[in-house]
Amino acid sequence: MADQTVPAVGTAGPARRQSGFFARHSTWLLLAPGIVWMVLFLVVPLGMMVYVSFWTQTTFSISSDLTLQSWITFFSSETYFGALLRTLKIWIIVLALTFVIGYPTALFIGQFVRDKTVQTILLVTCVIPFWTSFLIRVLAWRPMLGLEGAINIVLLRLGIISEPIEVLLFTELSVVIGMVQIYVVFMVGPIAFMLARIDESLIEAARDLGASTWTIFRKIIFPLSLPGVVVGAIFVSVMVLGEFATASALSGRKVNLLGNIIVTQVGSLKWAFAAVIGVVLTVIMAIVIGGLLRVVNLRREL
Amino acid sequence: MLELRRVTKAFAGVPAIDAVDLTIHDDEYLTLLGPSGSGKSTLLRLIAGLEVCDSGTISLDGEDITYSPTHLRNLGFVQQSYGLFPHMNVFDNVAFGLRHRTHNPIEDSSEVDRRVKAMLDLVGLSELGQRMVGQLSGGQKQRVSLARTLVTEPKVCLLDEPLGALDANLRERMTVELRKIREALGVTFMHVTGNEDEALAMGDRMIVLDHGRLLQVAPPDMVYREPDNVAVARFVNAYNILEGRVSDGAFLQDDARLPAAGAPDGKGYYAIRHDAATIHHGSEPPEGAVALPATFVTEEFLGSRFFYFLRLDDGTVFEVERHLSREDPIHLEAGTRCMVSWDPRNALHFGADGNRIGAPAMKGAA
Repeated sequence: MADQTVPAVGTAGPARRQSGFFARHSTWLLLAPGIVWMVLFLVVPLGMMVYVSFWTQTTFSISSDLTLQSWITFFSSETYFGALLRTLKIWIIVLALTFVIGYPTALFIGQFVRDKTVQTILLVTCVIPFWTSFLIRVLAWRPMLGLEGAINIVLLRLGIISEPIEVLLFTELSVVIGMVQIYVVFMVGPIAFMLARIDESLIEAARDLGASTWTIFRKIIFPLSLPGVVVGAIFVSVMVLGEFATASALSGRKVNLLGNIIVTQVGSLKWAFAAVIGVVLTVIMAIVIGGLLRVVNLRREL
Repeated sequence: MLELRRVTKAFAGVPAIDAVDLTIHDDEYLTLLGPSGSGKSTLLRLIAGLEVCDSGTISLDGEDITYSPTHLRNLGFVQQSYGLFPHMNVFDNVAFGLRHRTHNPIEDSSEVDRRVKAMLDLVGLSELGQRMVGQLSGGQKQRVSLARTLVTEPKVCLLDEPLGALDANLRERMTVELRKIREALGVTFMHVTGNEDEALAMGDRMIVLDHGRLLQVAPPDMVYREPDNVAVARFVNAYNILEGRVSDGAFLQDDARLPAAGAPDGKGYYAIRHDAATIHHGSEPPEGAVALPATFVTEEFLGSRFFYFLRLDDGTVFEVERHLSREDPIHLEAGTRCMVSWDPRNALHFGADGNRIGAPAMKGAA
């Protein structure tokens, strides 16, 4: 036995020395593509955005002389600061509604449907609207919500209302309706996934220990689904905070979110000002995601 | 006292539990032995209320609980997979039942504290109260699961293969400890297992279940020495069972006629315990013994004893157990011809229906 292992080490020695460089630096070599990618497409653009936000902007030109002017304009203007507040308001409302609508749906799919096949079918059904383009999904709300839209016609014919409801379209309400419909599925998915992973034996154990269904939900099912809620909330938040298309399509350009302002500023080549809003949005998202991740330790739960 | 009367349950038309009658006394250790698929887990889940029986009644201390929901039954159920709550620490897991039960929850946190600590002491986990359950070993999880159930002071504690997931060493320690814990609390344990040694070692009484029917309910030594049914003899895994015919008070095994006084003519089974038979090679069987020719196959060493495997001339495998405290081991070459013999008074006879000749008719209410 020992006689055989000694020469084996001898032959393996040189081979190992040849690959020494790769062996010793394998961690960094494997990380390199990722690092290069992130630096080129995340760190550098972010740095550029912050840098450009301090550039001097005049009506027709932009120069790299550093100034706080764009920042001052943003925070002192009723229009722009108001857009920030409106963005936050719509984000909170949409987040709350997607949770209120999404959680029961996920609960049904993840807990009440025990058949894995049916679960999959139901989740796929939730995604079917995504087979059409984003713009079509948004614009399809117009004939639904308009003054002579489907909802008003049905309600009028049923005699529930005598005048068509005007607030349905081209208001904040229509923006909220559109966004909730589009983003609710991003809440349902992660929550349903976490709920489906809850072992049936936990629920049986809790029941056997004397807990009622409501107690089991509060103490077992909901806490265990919380990581799914957080992931869903992050998805919805990131998408809603950067939204501009739904707002412009369903509000008739009356509801301006930060995203819409970026679009118009870039359209009129006001790069410095657009960069200011970009930085503000990025900071808000970082705070929101950081805050949500504090709610639950995702690394431990997933 | 927990009583089952003609409890029946079928899944998709296939009977899992078939008209089971059973009485579980207060303060006893009951083991339930059955092969997988015998319905033993179903029986446990029916008692716990996790399944509803198709017919029959279950009553606890005279009160009918057949259809009462699980959380109002006051029976404890320790699951094979433990079912610990992964988002809570050990203390909160154990305190769950006391804090959150529907009936008579304990609001006073110092009282919860006192009871949970006492229970953790009893199961030997007093140091681990703040650990998350993910950081526990299998044996510790088992204890947490047991403590969590016992702290609610159930009338009967149902244990579904509680030692199944533990390694052999731990398994032996837990057998002793389970009995100790049970005696300290005076609560009835009903312990389901597929392992005959466990069932024999732990129970004050033992139930043998197969195909959803109770085959025998008796103290373990009775089940071991006098199995009521040939299937029970098979499950305790201590008998050589010969299949053949009886005629004129003799069991016909190939050319040999084994005395079987009292057995009715027709198909029958003849059983002899592994440790009641001896091997003869170069010596004659003693006077009055029954002997059959056999071929040596192999041996298995188990520390304090040897198992010898032989083949009878009709192909039946025959096992002989030899305790080294009583006899020295023998060593034979595979293929050696020898004789196996035993005292015919040690043999058991079973009729065509599998029931032991001379056994009392199986009464459900044991």
